[in-house]
Amino acid sequence: MSNMSGGMWAEKYRPQTLNDMINQTEIVSRLKMFVQEKNLPHLLFVGPAGVGKTTSILALARDLYGPGYRNFTLELNASDERGIDVIREKVKNFARTAAIASPVSFKILIMDEADSLTSAAQHALRRTMEIYTRTCRFCLIGNYSENIIDPIQSRCSIFRFSSLDEKDMKTYIMNIVMREQIDIIEEGFDAVYQASGGDLRKATNLLQAAAATKDVIDDVSIYEVLGKVSPERVRAMIQQSLKGDFLEAREILRELLIDQGLAPDDIIRMVYSELMRNTVLSEQWKVKLSDKVGEVDYRLTQGARPEIQLSTLLAHLALAGEEMK
Amino acid sequence: MGNREAVSKLDKWIKSWGKKPPKKRAAFVYGPPGTGKTAAVQALATEKGYDLLEINASDSRTKNRIEEVLGKAAGQTVTVFGRPRMILLDEMEGVSGQKDRGGITAISNVIKSTRIPIVLVATTVEENMENKFRPLRSKATLIEFQPVPFGEVYKSLKRIAEENGVKVHPEVLDTLASRSQGDLRSAINDLETVAKGKTEVDPRDIEWMGERDRQDYTPNIINRIFSARSLWEARQTISQSMIPYEDLFDWIYENLPLVIDEPGERLQALETLAKADVYQKRARSSNYRLLKYMFNLMTGGVAFSRTKSQGLGLMKQVHAAIQRNGMPLSNFQTTETRDGVMIKPIRWLGRDKWGALNGELRGIGASWTYGQNFWVLPYFREPQTKWRYITTYHSRRKMKAVAAKLAVKTHTSTQEAVTETLPLLRIIYNADQENAEKIDAWLGLEDKEQKYLSG
Repeated sequence: MSNMSGGMWAEKYRPQTLNDMINQTEIVSRLKMFVQEKNLPHLLFVGPAGVGKTTSILALARDLYGPGYRNFTLELNASDERGIDVIREKVKNFARTAAIASPVSFKILIMDEADSLTSAAQHALRRTMEIYTRTCRFCLIGNYSENIIDPIQSRCSIFRFSSLDEKDMKTYIMNIVMREQIDIIEEGFDAVYQASGGDLRKATNLLQAAAATKDVIDDVSIYEVLGKVSPERVRAMIQQSLKGDFLEAREILRELLIDQGLAPDDIIRMVYSELMRNTVLSEQWKVKLSDKVGEVDYRLTQGARPEIQLSTLLAHLALAGEEMK
Repeated sequence: MGNREAVSKLDKWIKSWGKKPPKKRAAFVYGPPGTGKTAAVQALATEKGYDLLEINASDSRTKNRIEEVLGKAAGQTVTVFGRPRMILLDEMEGVSGQKDRGGITAISNVIKSTRIPIVLVATTVEENMENKFRPLRSKATLIEFQPVPFGEVYKSLKRIAEENGVKVHPEVLDTLASRSQGDLRSAINDLETVAKGKTEVDPRDIEWMGERDRQDYTPNIINRIFSARSLWEARQTISQSMIPYEDLFDWIYENLPLVIDEPGERLQALETLAKADVYQKRARSSNYRLLKYMFNLMTGGVAFSRTKSQGLGLMKQVHAAIQRNGMPLSNFQTTETRDGVMIKPIRWLGRDKWGALNGELRGIGASWTYGQNFWVLPYFREPQTKWRYITTYHSRRKMKAVAAKLAVKTHTSTQEAVTETLPLLRIIYNADQENAEKIDAWLGLEDKEQKYLSG
């Protein structure tokens, strides 16, 4: 197993069967019913990142088809595919042949980040779902069901995944801690939980990165790891802006957007959460800035240019810093 | 007059239209302003008995509009009077490149099937032809017009003066011709201006003119935008300049915080520019008439945000850079010149010190002039974003390649792999050799991708 996961714990400890899943118990028990009945509807999994959406459907497929499940499943990530036509073509090639030598007559198509498709693309997808419904079941995955058009929602069984609570995460993390024989103290675990926000994949990666660099994991070692990844540069950008060094802040913004290749909406998300947590900004400024961040967020969905729009936030922060001196 | 070679090439192409269309059904005429591109097309069309339908490409640049206007015309081979037709698509430079290929593609499709000659005319230079008009290049006979040589401009001016019965002093003709820089039309306009209502023009009549701003020198245009006193004046820069408005926008964005550095004013200026960007997007997706609002905001809107800002003084920046390197200012001669601040070492600095200072000065936008041995820090900085995309190209490609592999293995999108997983993977990868080897095998990383992760 370790060879297959390349030493990445998030993959090594990804539950393989529905029985391995420690959380989402209600969802899991309903999915197990589908396996027993050897039939399933189209599925729509929604919920935050790292709570087991993709893991569940992969586990279901393994339970249903056995070890050769890869032959009967196709995983697509909507945000990686170039347009709905490419998706349709792939779906067509996959779905038009019935599943041979399989316990059931259908295959499963997993479409991750389906909520990133435009509504026009979703309508096209809906048609495709209908055409191949006999030979293929669709499992659409996304963060918000609101971003999925009604006609698709009404054709799917919707499963809402919730964030992991501290207890579930501890169970999962402690299993890794024991198997990998690492030293972690209570503060270390708390920091992992805080920083991951209930996202198991992130928690596991953080844990592994900290374990790779430190013998004993405490909160400091977790923050050190965090310091090397993007949110820290976002924080630095905000600090520079507040200090009034707009030019330096803009350089960091360019580094994030260009050198590191971060998605603009990820930067917005990080900026927003940093601002809300910021202890220097007055409450009035926080309200004002949420409005500004929201405006930029909206403009980017409309196709405005990220660097121009994001830099206005830096200028707002510089003014905030000036006024609060 | 001028560009004989280009004119004869155009003539030959028109002649190639026999009973059947030739292989290249369009001619693409391009070159600097005032070199007779449009005039040559008009003259040849008349000479050959064509009925010339002139379409201003920049007015009808959206895909649908072009298909509608151009597609219809390209199907009708003769007029109702039986004269053969020809289409002139002028001001191609106004059709936007990059972001809405729609317009260019629509034109390119019409060319494929046109039954009458189509001539495209763009005021642009060779460099722009490569990217923006690439889809058209292979489908059209390319005809380049060059700046009109000094002698020809001079002769033309002399002839026009004589024809209009004005006696113009040779020195005046000389000055007008040389400052036109090959733009015959502007030279004629100038002549008309100085000769208006006169029968005789001598050198004193042109003293007031001064050096004309070169239209193709972006820093001059940016300067005019930032120092404009009226909206009209600010907007003029866009319509008069040969530089695509997208480029001007980038220049304004780059230099805005250098010129407008008072926090409140900087914010206002940036917000206005960001709104201009929104109008640009709206124009592209609905109607190009919305561009005029973008132009107002990006020029006047930005310029008038400045009232108190002094700007980051270049001299101050230079002195700071020198002092940061622990060198005495007396080792340098710093002068403000027409193009920017000149920084000249008075004595040999030594390779190491020179290198350190060079790095520092490059960071604020200066460059070393070989042969002359000084740095020049231009008053306006070139947009850095594009440059950054170029310099990070290879590392970004490797990053994307690794992320794509990682995305498949971890069941995420490539973007999520870039943002969330890659930074942590890098830490794990570099912590010990055994991990690295496992990860190499797991992801099937090539040598250069391994180097990228460990670098």
